[in-house]
Amino acid sequence: MSNKSWRLISVFILVLLISLAAAGCGGGGIDENKNEVEKLKVGFVYIGSVKDGGWSQAHDEGRQYLEKELPYVDASDYVENVPESPGDAERVITQLAEQGNKIIFTTSFGYMDPTINVAKNYPDVTFLHCSGYKTAENVGAYFGRMYQARYLSGLVAGKATVSNIIGYVAAMPIPEVIRGINAFTLGVKKVNPEAKVKVVWTNTWIDPSAAKRAAEALLDAGADVITQHQDSPAPQQAAQAAGKLGIGYNSDMSKAAPKAVMTSPIWNWGPYYVETVKAIKEGTWDSTPKCASLTYWGGLEDGVVGLAPFGPMVPDEVKQLVEQEKQRIISGAWDVFTGPIKDQKGEVRIADGKRMTDEEMLNMNWFVEGVEGTIPAPK
Amino acid sequence: MMTVFSGYVIEKRLVPSSTSFVIVPLVSIILALLVGAVFLVLSGHNFWEVYKVMFAGAFGSIYGITETIVKAIPLTITGLGVALAFRMQLWNIGGEGQLYMGAFAATWVALNFSDAEEWWVLPLMITLGMLAGGLWALVPAIPRAIWGVNEIITTLMLNYVAIFWVDYLVYGPWKDPNGYNFPLTAPFSPAAILPVLGHSRIHAGLFFGLFIALLFYIIIYHTRWGYEIRVCGESPDAARYAGININKNILLVMFVSGAVCGLAGMAEVSGIAHRLQHGLSTGYGYTAIIIAWLSRLHPFVIIVVAFLFGALQVGGYIVQTSGIPSSMVAMLQGLLLFFVLGGELLTNYRIARKTPAYSSGDDAS
Amino acid sequence: MTAPYLVELKNITKRFPGVVANDGVDFNVRKGEIHVLLGENGSGKSTLMSVLAGLYRPDKGEIVVDGTRRVFRSPRDAIKAGIGMIHQHFKLIDSLTVAENVILGDDSTPPVLRLQDIQRKLEELSKKYGLHINPSSMVWQLSLGEKQRVEIVKMLYRGSRVLVLDEPTAVLTPQETHELFHILREMAKAGRGIVLITHKMQEVMEIADRVTVLRRGKVVATLTREQINRRELAWLMVGRDVVIQYKKKGSPGNKKVLEVDNVHCLSDLGRPCLKGVSFTVHSGEIFGIAGVAGNGQRELAEVITGLRPVTGGKIMIDGIDTTGLSPRQIIDRRVAYVPDDRLGTGLVPGLSAVDNFMLKSYRQSVLRRGPLLNKRAAYQNSRELVKQFEIQISSLDAPVKLMSGGNLQRLLLAREITSEPLLLVAVYPIRGLDIKATQSVHNILLQQRDKGVAILLISEDLDELFKLSDRIGVIYDGRITGIMPAEMTDVEEVGLLMMGSAGTGEMAT
Repeated sequence: MSNKSWRLISVFILVLLISLAAAGCGGGGIDENKNEVEKLKVGFVYIGSVKDGGWSQAHDEGRQYLEKELPYVDASDYVENVPESPGDAERVITQLAEQGNKIIFTTSFGYMDPTINVAKNYPDVTFLHCSGYKTAENVGAYFGRMYQARYLSGLVAGKATVSNIIGYVAAMPIPEVIRGINAFTLGVKKVNPEAKVKVVWTNTWIDPSAAKRAAEALLDAGADVITQHQDSPAPQQAAQAAGKLGIGYNSDMSKAAPKAVMTSPIWNWGPYYVETVKAIKEGTWDSTPKCASLTYWGGLEDGVVGLAPFGPMVPDEVKQLVEQEKQRIISGAWDVFTGPIKDQKGEVRIADGKRMTDEEMLNMNWFVEGVEGTIPAPK
Repeated sequence: MMTVFSGYVIEKRLVPSSTSFVIVPLVSIILALLVGAVFLVLSGHNFWEVYKVMFAGAFGSIYGITETIVKAIPLTITGLGVALAFRMQLWNIGGEGQLYMGAFAATWVALNFSDAEEWWVLPLMITLGMLAGGLWALVPAIPRAIWGVNEIITTLMLNYVAIFWVDYLVYGPWKDPNGYNFPLTAPFSPAAILPVLGHSRIHAGLFFGLFIALLFYIIIYHTRWGYEIRVCGESPDAARYAGININKNILLVMFVSGAVCGLAGMAEVSGIAHRLQHGLSTGYGYTAIIIAWLSRLHPFVIIVVAFLFGALQVGGYIVQTSGIPSSMVAMLQGLLLFFVLGGELLTNYRIARKTPAYSSGDDAS
Repeated sequence: MTAPYLVELKNITKRFPGVVANDGVDFNVRKGEIHVLLGENGSGKSTLMSVLAGLYRPDKGEIVVDGTRRVFRSPRDAIKAGIGMIHQHFKLIDSLTVAENVILGDDSTPPVLRLQDIQRKLEELSKKYGLHINPSSMVWQLSLGEKQRVEIVKMLYRGSRVLVLDEPTAVLTPQETHELFHILREMAKAGRGIVLITHKMQEVMEIADRVTVLRRGKVVATLTREQINRRELAWLMVGRDVVIQYKKKGSPGNKKVLEVDNVHCLSDLGRPCLKGVSFTVHSGEIFGIAGVAGNGQRELAEVITGLRPVTGGKIMIDGIDTTGLSPRQIIDRRVAYVPDDRLGTGLVPGLSAVDNFMLKSYRQSVLRRGPLLNKRAAYQNSRELVKQFEIQISSLDAPVKLMSGGNLQRLLLAREITSEPLLLVAVYPIRGLDIKATQSVHNILLQQRDKGVAILLISEDLDELFKLSDRIGVIYDGRITGIMPAEMTDVEEVGLLMMGSAGTGEMAT
């Protein structure tokens, strides 16, 4: 006993010494901060980890870009892995405001109500919520036209499929995801009218094992290209393991599955964050919805959305086609949801030559022809 | 008895020493913070700053304290719920599911009587929420009472059923028609929302927790029923000997345990979320088990421990803003739990020199 | 060098606080013999065998294996020396196979298992001794008899040359017993030594090569097969000086308080346990039940108090049929019960003395205050009982598990008696108590009898039964094998009946 307790005590003493030394070093750091010029503090709330290789990481790269581009910005306050449960999100946002952040980006749909609630108590703070539909005097809603990039990636998938079955691992049946599925399917059908897109819901944004299982189910059903709306590269990894192809999402997923990933529709938030923070500082920003319910809805032309570099398996011919379509969209001459577009029952939902309004696109709750899957409907 | 290393054994203490109740948890927390400090220093963080921010986040401001209380409300109520069952050695691991069923029933009232701006909406939500939680707990209690089916497994499995049932509703039939297809029900009308304290988010659920703690204290220590529960929990043989109907008590205790967890669900939808949604609870029903255990099932201690757990979670998020990744925070929380639970073991067991032979004749292993 | 004995225990003394369990005991086992160890409960058999198996270290004496002195520090040492103990409660893991159980805890098992080799070896052993065991079957699928054979094969596998079996037939059916004896004989023939602990006369006669009789921790005789005779053995086992009977005041009343009529019940394992028990206890009478533990005594008490379902027959208490009533209804018929498991059944270990005092009375109006318990009344009542029954107690609020055996029994009796019972069922009331505590328990029982309470006293201590009882019934294998007025019988007769030997008529001298 005595022997053991001595060893224990000596470990404690060691720990204490290390701790004290560290405290000494750290103390200096705090003082230095206080002497610096007051910076504009910008806070971020993420649903996932900043290393998730997906949605949250894309936002965090935007945050880092913002810090680099604007020297007067201190964007060091970010909180990751914040659940959408009502108890937690509202508190985290409040605490960011309490810590002196003047601009706060809340980057998941579930933060919408909490953001609105908190904003009421902090009128001098500007809040920006990503992917929702509610705005207020000091709350802006922003998003990107990911459907444009999805459409482009659909072209790639449609050209690549042999079995004419493409698997789509989807998160939740909300308009954002449905719009992505539809745009992707329109791209597929443009180059390959025979192909079908099978959809499986995981009902979660981040659950790599659920996403993997869903992808495997689709592969079993004959899919030879897997794409996804998830926050992790698990579906592409499943495709690679099965020797099949895939299309990523959120960020360039070719590192996670180099043999499978042909390209990925990606987010590039940095430039938008820089422009927005500048505008708010200069007083030129306002929250008025400009695209239906959204304050900002940028597309390919702003570079907020785009495609990651193609993998070696993509032929030049396809690359050229993608570039051609991209220019067509950027020019404004045409957009993805331009008629004629039929729904799953074969009924024409958008008449020939007619373009869907932003309002209609943001409320989209039906699948286009060629999608195999269902959207759970309210009673 | 298990042998640790030659010459020493870990023995159960007959009666844990009274000073150890206070000292052991305190020492455990200090140890956890010390070990955590080593990890923080190794990963290049200033541990002192981290702890300061964590503490300040939870206790340093009125807002921090109110939020800690908000977090402590569901933890207290579910903690009390499962603790009642634990008293009778009924291992109700199903607090999470019972919470969801309570939330489900309360939401049913809120959605179906959304036009009724009447005083009776909230009482009806409370009643049905508790009833749903209680009935949900009866499902595993009945096979336990009749055939002795292990309730640990059944209550646990029913958690998933309840969670998926709520998911089904919010993704399907109960989805808000104006909610852009998001997995949320329509927001509750003001009549279905619990009143709050001032400008904080502290809602009437706080009083549910305090009231139930008091009620349970009286029941357990001052009523015949509570006496029966204690006898059943300490020694089922003695209970049978004394003519206590154990099966009846299994059903009754599980029902009340589930009803209280159901009330936690009702309070969470009505006080905080104001609608039913996917991911309503962040594992309150599971954390409740640890809280009940650490509190030695004492109703008043549960309130205190739930508050500390609330602080741990509230402080955990805020500390991220000083550059600590959330995984590091989770590790710190894990360390605290590990040490406190380990310390708990020390209050009940002690290390003793092994005697050449055990003096009791019948334990020959 | 060959030693005459496989193993030899020389002059073993083992003391426990307050008791000398073994007092200078010599015991040995020869190659190829079956040596029966006979004795009443508490005679020191189990202690002696625990010394041999390395569970206890003797205070004095030595263990000699193959002519060499050995010190066993743990059961492991004993197993290494070739001594294998088979306990009454099998130490097997249900979810593993036979082979896996056999190698569990065996030091010689290599870290990388070669289960096929082990299974082959087990099959060989099984075939050699007719054990009929399939090494790959799961233990939970086996009957009790098969599990016992797994324990045997486990010891054989570990190279045991001396096998100690502690009352192996207690859990077996007659067929299984027969098979077991056959196996034991085969093993003895193969040169192993067998030690069999029992108190069934039939088994001694059937299988023993030698018998050693223990009484109160001492060896009273070691007999060879030729010297064995039933009457002699019974006398050796229980024989003692004439007991002095307590003075009895008056004679029992005529009122039949308890009538047990051809009652049957099942054991915990679902086997027939009571097989038609009948007797009557009158008011103001102590009716003693003698018998070796495990012949249905506990079950009898449980059947009367409603804790165990009756599968046949009828029980009347105070003229009313109570068969099939709940424990609570029987408590309400004023039946008090002192169970053999004092701490755990009769008392709640983790609760305080106050809580334990009200275990049966908490429903009564005295202890009620509306929906609440009247704690003040409970404390007052407790304080009075503690004083009246001279219970040594540090605090009324401390868990009773901290109290000594004698105090626990007084607490339990105090509670049961204050209910003013018509019938008191007491099972082994002095087990584990010292002389002073025994005396006080006996005084309480006699006072109650004199007050007119009918007492059913189940005991394994013949002294106690003869001292207290008005009549004695003997239970053997779930049947009452004789009922006699205490002054008309003697320990020898009762002893023979207890071991299931012959009827009363035949034994009359």
